[in-house]
Amino acid sequence: MAMIDIQGLSVTFRSKGHEVRAVEDVSLSVAAQESYGLVGESGSGKSTILRAICGLAPVSAGRILIDGKPLPQGRAFSRQVQMVFQDPYASLHPRHTIDRTLSEPLAIHGLPGSDAKVVQALQDVGLPPAFRFRYPHQLSGGQRQRVAIARALMLEPKILLLDEPTSALDASVQAEVLNLLNRLRAERGLTFLMVSHDLAVIDHMCDRVLVMQHGRAVEELARADLANARMQTGYARSLFEASADRLMETK
Amino acid sequence: MSPLLEVQNLRVTFDTETGPVEAVRGVSFSLGRERLGIVGESGSGKTMTGRSVLRLIRPPGRIQADRMVFDGHDLMTAGEREMRALRGKRIGMVMQDPKYSLNPVMNVGDQLTEGLRRRDGLGRADARAKALAALEAVQIRNPERVLTAYPHELSGGMGQRVMIAMMLIPEPDLLIADEPTSALDVTVQAEVLSILDRLVRDRGMGLIFISHDLRLVARFCDRVLVMYKGKIVEEIAAGRLMQAQHPYTQGLLNCLPRIGGSRAALPVLDRSGGWAQEGTQ
Repeated sequence: MAMIDIQGLSVTFRSKGHEVRAVEDVSLSVAAQESYGLVGESGSGKSTILRAICGLAPVSAGRILIDGKPLPQGRAFSRQVQMVFQDPYASLHPRHTIDRTLSEPLAIHGLPGSDAKVVQALQDVGLPPAFRFRYPHQLSGGQRQRVAIARALMLEPKILLLDEPTSALDASVQAEVLNLLNRLRAERGLTFLMVSHDLAVIDHMCDRVLVMQHGRAVEELARADLANARMQTGYARSLFEASADRLMETK
Repeated sequence: MSPLLEVQNLRVTFDTETGPVEAVRGVSFSLGRERLGIVGESGSGKTMTGRSVLRLIRPPGRIQADRMVFDGHDLMTAGEREMRALRGKRIGMVMQDPKYSLNPVMNVGDQLTEGLRRRDGLGRADARAKALAALEAVQIRNPERVLTAYPHELSGGMGQRVMIAMMLIPEPDLLIADEPTSALDVTVQAEVLSILDRLVRDRGMGLIFISHDLRLVARFCDRVLVMYKGKIVEEIAAGRLMQAQHPYTQGLLNCLPRIGGSRAALPVLDRSGGWAQEGTQ
């Protein structure tokens, strides 16, 4: 059964008589333990889909099923689904220590053993235990993103929603974080729904990818089709051709 | 022909409470009418190197150099008045993010014509005509509308093109572009690059292209300087980047995922070598 099943999803923002259709009639289905990518340019609605799953965007039509059931609410939802945001400089509380950031989900859910779990979580993402007592500004961008990933995993969710998790990082640090995400997915059997504007990153991380433009799904590609440039639509092809990775070969 | 810009042993130092921090540590290069790329990670000093050429580093930052000469002007001894005559007019700079680099409460037309009217004393109509031509040169389709727009009404790609147009109006001899495309989508990025490329070729401008993206720089530039911790670790012709010798350059190249590449863990930059240690060449 599909872990994430989205049918005919539309998201419409309304303000002062304006209507913006950020997502229009998008359907996708992600199997358990699969890694699925959403790719497109800014304004294509890819991040809005993640936000709609989290209940952070106004869904105007369609349905979202998680593990075959309608979206759970409140704490039951955060047990199953967690999100990692793009900018690790903005997504961690600047005045909370790493220890407080990581133990807060446990406190909210009334789970015991927070001390050992925090140390373990830091170790899992490759950070030394002493980092517990630091503040976000004392960490580099890559270290902060590791903390954000550790926090998302504190409640042992089944699904991680990744919104451009490495686009604020240097190429060398990006490689470390992508490797970490892949290792965690293999170890824990996680399901990934990942958004990126970088086709090469999506190709490295995902089994299937949905190309989006102007809020609509353009084309779904399996990994082999992407690698061999077997795309059907002109837009998917232009995105492929413009990818920095290709630029070098066509030189 | 003597080079357009010559920099020898450039150092940028910030005096902090815990002692001086050197952001750039002895960088030397020269530039003709060509496209020079400067690549490195954040904190490698690439932006500081670019800003030093315009002496745009505020205290507590200090610039030192044995020699820094632009087309006969000694940039180290030039007075502030001489520098102001060079900035914009002879040496232009395109900043990274149009969201933060354009004036949010001034429409595009006023921003584009401000320099023309103040510095060159052009009339309103002449300045407007030049601004329109500049917007057309960066392939903005309806320049009249953009002239009356405010920055928040423009998309990222449009804003970036407006900034490039602004820098090109005085027809500088040298353009320093600091990550001019990193805020843009890939398809827009390709467009902006081809605009820059044509301008460099048609006008015979010198270009310093600062970026963290090695692949982009390799495709776009003639020559690449790779910086690490404030030093140039390797200088290489862009076409030969794949044969780079320095472990840092190789590491930067290899850690990028590739479409159709292996799914195995990406190689991670190994900083244990002697080159990565502080204070070594």
